Amino acid sequence: MSEEMSYSIAVGRLEEIVADLERGGIALDETLKLYEEGAKLLEFCQQELASAEGRLNEMRLSEIEEKLAE
Amino acid sequence: MRGESELTTGPIPVGQFVNLIRSTIRNDNLFQNQVIKGEITQWKSYPSGHTYFTLRDSDGQISAVIWQGRCTIDSSIQEGSVVVVIANLDLYAKAGRIQLIVNRIEPINKLGVLEEQRKQLIELLRSEGVLDRPRMALPAIPKHIAIITGVGSAALADMNRLAENRWPGIRRTVIGVTVQGNSAANEIVRGILAAGKLADFTVAKRLNQPPVDVIIVGRGGGSPEDLWAFNLEPVARAIIASAIPVISAVGHESDMLVADLVADLRASTPSNAIERLVPEFDQHQMMMLNFELRITDSTTRLFVDWRNNLLLLQSRLLNAPLQGVYNANQRISDLSNRLTSAVTNKFGQSRRKLASLGNIMLLAAQQSIAAEKTKLAVFASTLNSAHPSNVLQRGYSMISNENGDIISRTNDLNKGQNIILALADGTAKATVEEITKESGKNE
Repeated sequence: MSEEMSYSIAVGRLEEIVADLERGGIALDETLKLYEEGAKLLEFCQQELASAEGRLNEMRLSEIEEKLAE
Repeated sequence: MRGESELTTGPIPVGQFVNLIRSTIRNDNLFQNQVIKGEITQWKSYPSGHTYFTLRDSDGQISAVIWQGRCTIDSSIQEGSVVVVIANLDLYAKAGRIQLIVNRIEPINKLGVLEEQRKQLIELLRSEGVLDRPRMALPAIPKHIAIITGVGSAALADMNRLAENRWPGIRRTVIGVTVQGNSAANEIVRGILAAGKLADFTVAKRLNQPPVDVIIVGRGGGSPEDLWAFNLEPVARAIIASAIPVISAVGHESDMLVADLVADLRASTPSNAIERLVPEFDQHQMMMLNFELRITDSTTRLFVDWRNNLLLLQSRLLNAPLQGVYNANQRISDLSNRLTSAVTNKFGQSRRKLASLGNIMLLAAQQSIAAEKTKLAVFASTLNSAHPSNVLQRGYSMISNENGDIISRTNDLNKGQNIILALADGTAKATVEEITKESGKNE
């Protein structure tokens, strides 16, 4: 499973968790488990979003080939 | 021209008039980058390096010039050749002469050969099954995009601007290549190979950056000849061999290029590639914030419900030594602490980061919490009507043993046992004289 896939999977799971919690009628322990799982998934997703940010490198082909040959 | 002539009261000086014609021509797309076919006459190269000729057919003719070094002139071109030129129309004001400024010239037979090669290549790829191979999905959140295109090109500027709009600071490596002319195919292939190396985990680690996870290869629109590199086999093979998804992003509306046919995704323009690849940052952040608020709110709501239920139970069983309630209270308090620390640890950071976005949604959430509180109040009053003291008011009584355990079944009674009766306004002590169990009413 690639990391990109797991962002989508995390989002899917978060949707399930929110739906379960909003529907209610679940045991207290289960609620807390869902809550903690949701918090972890959110943290993961936020990291994923943050990790897309980076530098803009503009190089000519020859420069990048030299860099790769180092 | 019309607008400006209204400003003059007398006759227009001819130079001004000619220059008005010139600016009209130069501002009309019909006359710029036009692809024109014709036969060459009066072909003449000057020592300065410029080449002048006339392009003609049976219905008309026009003078044309190729400035020195502007484009490669195929050696087969000569007087009488039928050619296709890509040219801008211009007017030389001093001489009042309209002429074509040629950017590209190709003998017509060469185009025919190229088109034949393209068809053969597509057939070959089809027979290999390459065109039907499964395509790779684009990453949901691209971590590192490699863009292979002309350095300093308008297409690159468009892509950069659009990418920044959608996801400010999204990580990109631009590999500047020549996208037309004889060296284009070779450079595009090397660009794809370089991007492939950047996708390698070890290489990425050495360069201290995330591996490239998607490639955009493209350029802005142009004549069929300008785009021809994207119809050549080496480029197609490089795209097919790529271990990460490749988006073909060449601006054109005519026939599909071979690169389009083999890429994992065909975008209609470079900008379109960005639109389809780069998600909108704000949308994802809003989605996360929405999840966060809904999870927190719904959990809090459930938690408040349980606490209220528990408090109610506690008050109902107030007179009994209730280890169970004590335990439940301990558990609730423990859960409450875990909840609080989870909220603080897990959400503290993102909340700060999203503070500005969050204010609007927090307001909405507060409103929905207020609505829940009203619902809870109604709920509490409903439950209150079932409170034991209200039941006792109606003439029922509650029986417990001397330890305070509630007795609701005959099985918990013995003949001669002392019991406590709880009435609406006090208690009474009694002794069991006889026990009659009604069959079918147990449990």
